Amino acid sequence: MSLEKVIFGFFILLAATLNFGFFLGDIDNPAHHNIYELFAAVVVNLIATVLKFGDRTQIGAVHLATSLVADLQLIAATVVWAVAVYASPAGLDSHAMASIVSLSGGALFANVVSVVLLVIETVSFQRR
Amino acid sequence: MNPLLAFLQSALAGDDEAARSLPRAAAPSSAIFLILRRMRTPLIVLIAIYAVSVLGLTLIPGQDAGGSPWSMGFFHAFYFMSYTATTIGFGEIPHAFTDAQRLWVTICIYLTVIGWAYAIGTLLALTHDRGFRHALAVQRFARKVRGLREPFVLVAGYGQTGCTLGRSLDALGRRFVVLDIDQARIDDLELESLRADVPGLAADARNPEHLVLAGLGHGRLEGVIALTNDDEANLAVVMSAALLRPDVPVVARTVSRPIAERMHAFGTPSIVNPFDRFGDLLRIALRAPAAFRLMEWLTGEPGTELPPSREPPRGRWVICGYGRFGQEVVADLRAEGLEVTIVEPGVAAVDDPSIIVGYGTEPDVLERARLRDAAGFVAATDNDTTNLSLIAAARRANAEIFVVARRNDQTDARLFAASGADYVLVPAELVAHEVLARITDPLAARFIETAPRYGDGWAAVLLARLRERCGLRVPLLWRVHLTPDGAPALAAWLAQDHGPVTIGELLRDPAEPDQSIRAIALAVVRDGRSHRVPADDFALAAGDEILLAGRRSARHALATTLHVPAARDRLLLGPNSPVGWLWRQLARGGRSASAR
Repeated sequence: MSLEKVIFGFFILLAATLNFGFFLGDIDNPAHHNIYELFAAVVVNLIATVLKFGDRTQIGAVHLATSLVADLQLIAATVVWAVAVYASPAGLDSHAMASIVSLSGGALFANVVSVVLLVIETVSFQRR
Repeated sequence: MNPLLAFLQSALAGDDEAARSLPRAAAPSSAIFLILRRMRTPLIVLIAIYAVSVLGLTLIPGQDAGGSPWSMGFFHAFYFMSYTATTIGFGEIPHAFTDAQRLWVTICIYLTVIGWAYAIGTLLALTHDRGFRHALAVQRFARKVRGLREPFVLVAGYGQTGCTLGRSLDALGRRFVVLDIDQARIDDLELESLRADVPGLAADARNPEHLVLAGLGHGRLEGVIALTNDDEANLAVVMSAALLRPDVPVVARTVSRPIAERMHAFGTPSIVNPFDRFGDLLRIALRAPAAFRLMEWLTGEPGTELPPSREPPRGRWVICGYGRFGQEVVADLRAEGLEVTIVEPGVAAVDDPSIIVGYGTEPDVLERARLRDAAGFVAATDNDTTNLSLIAAARRANAEIFVVARRNDQTDARLFAASGADYVLVPAELVAHEVLARITDPLAARFIETAPRYGDGWAAVLLARLRERCGLRVPLLWRVHLTPDGAPALAAWLAQDHGPVTIGELLRDPAEPDQSIRAIALAVVRDGRSHRVPADDFALAAGDEILLAGRRSARHALATTLHVPAARDRLLLGPNSPVGWLWRQLARGGRSASAR
């Protein structure tokens, strides 16, 4: 068992679970979505991305790509949130919340792909 | 070729097909991967510090201007941390902080400073890292080689020989790429004042990957030259080149016959053995002095003046040093029917009772070798200091003796020049000249190589003619091809059937048509057959290839005649020939009318 693999798997999975936790709930109800969870998801996703840096294999490249997609989606969600709360006269209404959650849903999809890749990598490694 | 033309040509034609067939070397993007891998930890530390700081700010209660409780949102917390961590410092916004917040911010400031210092420090350290620099160098080298749009040769090994060859190639306007195992030599290459930008990489040429990186798969590669000090490495280069690029000529240096045999197993590499070659030259010099002089004259550095030299005498020779070089020379001298006395200090001397064991610098050893009545003396050891003292000792014993010395190191050139040796052999330069001739101009190389076969009288006449036409400096050798590409103006003339153009007519100055240019034609190749030293009334035909020797100015003059229709007409029709299109048409009408 290598500690590096544990940390790698941990962050990828944590990124997906946090993202899923934020996504869960009515899409337009601000009460169902905790902003701290979004923050945690962004941070963990960024860390997961950095962990994937520098891998030259094909699967490593796809890993990095999925993480970058998730980062992009989540950062877009936080920007929408910041604009809604601080810059828009309407505040955090159901329309803005729906945008945020659907963006995080996209990120969730990328994170799921990432997890699937991790599983494939693990399985194929053990078979050999 | 003009770089712009070369670029256009390659852009239009899309050449280097051969490049496709070889796998790409795996180096190109490694530098960026190295950065990413090294920056993992600093970046994660930085992200963690930011996350903890921002989270803390949102959790710690504060108050607004009115004193009522207020808690910072993520947006403001991130904004605050961004300008604080980057030491921009806009102050406490949107409201003045409470003491609890200030306590937290103090901690955050130190944390982020450490985070940034760590990240930037790692990045800077990376630029000094050897592995990273090597990765960058490889990447830059590969990019430069890929970007070459002109024909180039690959030189493996950039020692004395490689350096000499490189300078000559550069002077001829040829591009080349260098591989050498020693980083110091690659650094020297960058410092050398060559005209063209020469890509160089410190890497082991035995590794085929490195050769591919250096353009072995490139479509514009037109030769591979193996000049390393290591015969095994040269063999490896020959092997890789023969197996991966059988279509490209290979020239390799070796001083060992077994290695040469093994090289011959791979295709048809051209092998240069400086010791063997020198023995051959010595035989030619003994048998046909004029031919030897002619060869020297045609292979020298263009523009330099050759000092007058003595002809090696026939008689008994004494040779000091019976290593590989000594053995080759002795074999050649004996084959020439000369008596040879060998002096060899080492125990390595073959079991031969005729060999005098001892150091040639000692007077009694020279006494035993009967230097007084010998005709020639060869200082053949691989140590320059020994060779210099041998020359001095030999001269002291016999002032008239013909002295041949082997010089191993470039730095001793002045000492050998002052030593009074009649002939100084420099293996590195010999190899460089040979390789240069074979790689740049096979036609000239063949001409020079076969020169001794035509007899000494022939060589003497040609030499006299050369001197009369071109002066006392070593002439430049070059080649013209009478095709629409190589000589547009003349090829058009020949195609129109205006009557024969002779060599004598062509080798005149377009500025002063009654004067010959300072060059002579050494050979004309037509349909694969070579006509040696054609006379002035030799009629040229389209498609002929001419080998010329002459001054640089003559080359320019001839190029003008071959490329510029007006210059051609002035030369072939007379000074008052019409230059403009209209006048030419009128003149043509007039001529055909009068012909009728």
